[in-house]
Amino acid sequence: MLKRKWPISAWIQPLLAVLIGLTGGAIAIVLIGGSVADTYAQMWKGAFGNFYFFTNTLTRATPLILVGLGVSIAFRAGFFNMGSEGQMILGALSSALLALYLPGPPLLKLLVAIIGGIVAGGIWSAFAGWLDAKFRMNLIITTLLLNYIAALFAGYMVAYPLKDKTGSAALAQTMMVDKAVWLPKLFQGMSIHAGFIIAIGLAILLYLFIKYTVAGYEIRMLGYNPLFAAYGGVNRRKMMLTSMFVSGGFAGLAGAVEVLGMQYRYTDGMISNPGYAWSGIMATLLSGAHPLGTAVAAVLLAALQTGGMGVERNTNIPLEISSVIQSLLILFVTAKFSYTLWKRRKGGKSDAASS
Amino acid sequence: MQHLLDVSLFNSMIRMVAPILLAALGGAICSRVGLFNVGLEGFVLVGAFSAIVGNFYTGNVYVAVLIAIAVTMLFSLIFAYMSIHLQANVIVVGISFNFLALGLTAFCLKAIFHVKGAFYDKNMIGLPKLNIPIIQDIPVIGGIISGHSPLVYLAFVLVFGLQFFLFKSVLGFRLIAVGENPVAAKSIGIKVSRMQYLAVLICGLLCGLAGAQLSLGQVTMFTEGMTAGRGFIALVATMLGQANPIGVMASSLLFGLMDAFSIRLQGFSLPTHFTQMLPYVVTLLAMLFFRKSNYLADAQKANGSSR
Repeated sequence: MLKRKWPISAWIQPLLAVLIGLTGGAIAIVLIGGSVADTYAQMWKGAFGNFYFFTNTLTRATPLILVGLGVSIAFRAGFFNMGSEGQMILGALSSALLALYLPGPPLLKLLVAIIGGIVAGGIWSAFAGWLDAKFRMNLIITTLLLNYIAALFAGYMVAYPLKDKTGSAALAQTMMVDKAVWLPKLFQGMSIHAGFIIAIGLAILLYLFIKYTVAGYEIRMLGYNPLFAAYGGVNRRKMMLTSMFVSGGFAGLAGAVEVLGMQYRYTDGMISNPGYAWSGIMATLLSGAHPLGTAVAAVLLAALQTGGMGVERNTNIPLEISSVIQSLLILFVTAKFSYTLWKRRKGGKSDAASS
Repeated sequence: MQHLLDVSLFNSMIRMVAPILLAALGGAICSRVGLFNVGLEGFVLVGAFSAIVGNFYTGNVYVAVLIAIAVTMLFSLIFAYMSIHLQANVIVVGISFNFLALGLTAFCLKAIFHVKGAFYDKNMIGLPKLNIPIIQDIPVIGGIISGHSPLVYLAFVLVFGLQFFLFKSVLGFRLIAVGENPVAAKSIGIKVSRMQYLAVLICGLLCGLAGAQLSLGQVTMFTEGMTAGRGFIALVATMLGQANPIGVMASSLLFGLMDAFSIRLQGFSLPTHFTQMLPYVVTLLAMLFFRKSNYLADAQKANGSSR
């Protein structure tokens, strides 16, 4: 899926997928008796309607971009890291704890909390990589299973030893982080915070890294052709551990940013319920693991989600419509249909239906 | 300890194992034709939801099971079309099918029943519990084996049915041939993609049954994401059993036992978080101990999963 070389087809693929996703959504809307035009208009308004909604969309996109970048590194190297959710949860939990219980000046606390989140997510992810490298356990399955373990562990931590007992006893959450350690907001009264700048900056850095550095080239080579990479002297095992660590580190950072910029505490289910990690993975799939493309795709998916909320507020269409559109979009993005169409049109009808 | 291991524990193990076993058998059939089906979780979820819809509207639990099978097979047909015809990456298709199932069932739950999260109706009747005439009177075995829903028994019958189908029937041989060497299979005139479609459809049928057992087998309700990773555990069971129906049954029984254990342990004033963690931890350990399988490596080579 990452081997596409045709620049036109690389654009056609996601665009066609978006079109199919929207069509599928339209069918679902018609089936339950809604107005397609009205629903999509509400969706657009909910996502981009005014400056407030627009910044909301970007805020939601922030963790998606970070997770997506992390997953794209692993994808580039040829590994499916499905464990972003667990990595993000552990990142969020550790950064909340460091911000809460570490002594010292606020700026240092903030920095350590962010780094702690990165390290926690990275270690959890590298653990899965280690299991694969050492014991040849399938990475997809281990990362998936580790998600459940991380979520339950974090759930236990905030339900028992670290529970905030000052407020209402109903919620399993940590205490609120001191205001001095919060990530600054970009605009007064808007939800968007400095995490968005970090995410965009990292997307650009990652793009430059993959495109112009030796290590970036090695990662790409490993993903395209593992045998050739081994022949060229790439140490697959070392590369797997580092790329998985970095991949999980991005997810951990996403969790840290969500805690320090948005929620200011770790609440049970704050990562899993909105499905941040999965949307981030979707953004990567949608963009074919291109760092800048991932950022764009993440904003698109976030727009679908915030737009879905707008739809639910103003029409009787449920907000799950956006997850239907999202998954259809992903489903069709790796299909080879546009490629075959393109090839057929160019090369005549000689190579029709080869399979 | 005697409170932990008793007849009712093994009884609930048999009950818990059925959805995992059925889905794992579906996964095994898919693996046999070289399709690593990560979408089992989504398939089962769709089956569970359509079973509830069927039950609510027809009032007949067996018609509901048939509806679940039909809908899940339709769903699996799209999976087959995407991965065989449009040559999309099987793993990406599988993952997006899980998303699609999650989104679609939540959407339909809201659209059809106007509820969020879970749907329950006291007028719905679940699958009946069958008491087997002679066996139910045998002291321990009767308590374990008797009194399950028909789908539970069907699951175990299907294990042997599939074993026969795969290794003793011509069609089964063709199916395996396609998975082991598609080029050679094609050269002797086997329609490769037709075999793959067949396998995915069978997988859809089995997952439909798994879903029906999940939503109608015990509580007769549907909750968003009620599969809770069972599809992935089934996938591991497929791998541990090396896509061999009897092996798949053995590994599924292990996970069923862990499922039953985790519920039982909640009575021991342990935090539920840790008891719920048990099936996943055991799955990881099982992968660690039973990892010698050339078959798995072949399947991965063919589909470019993690390596």
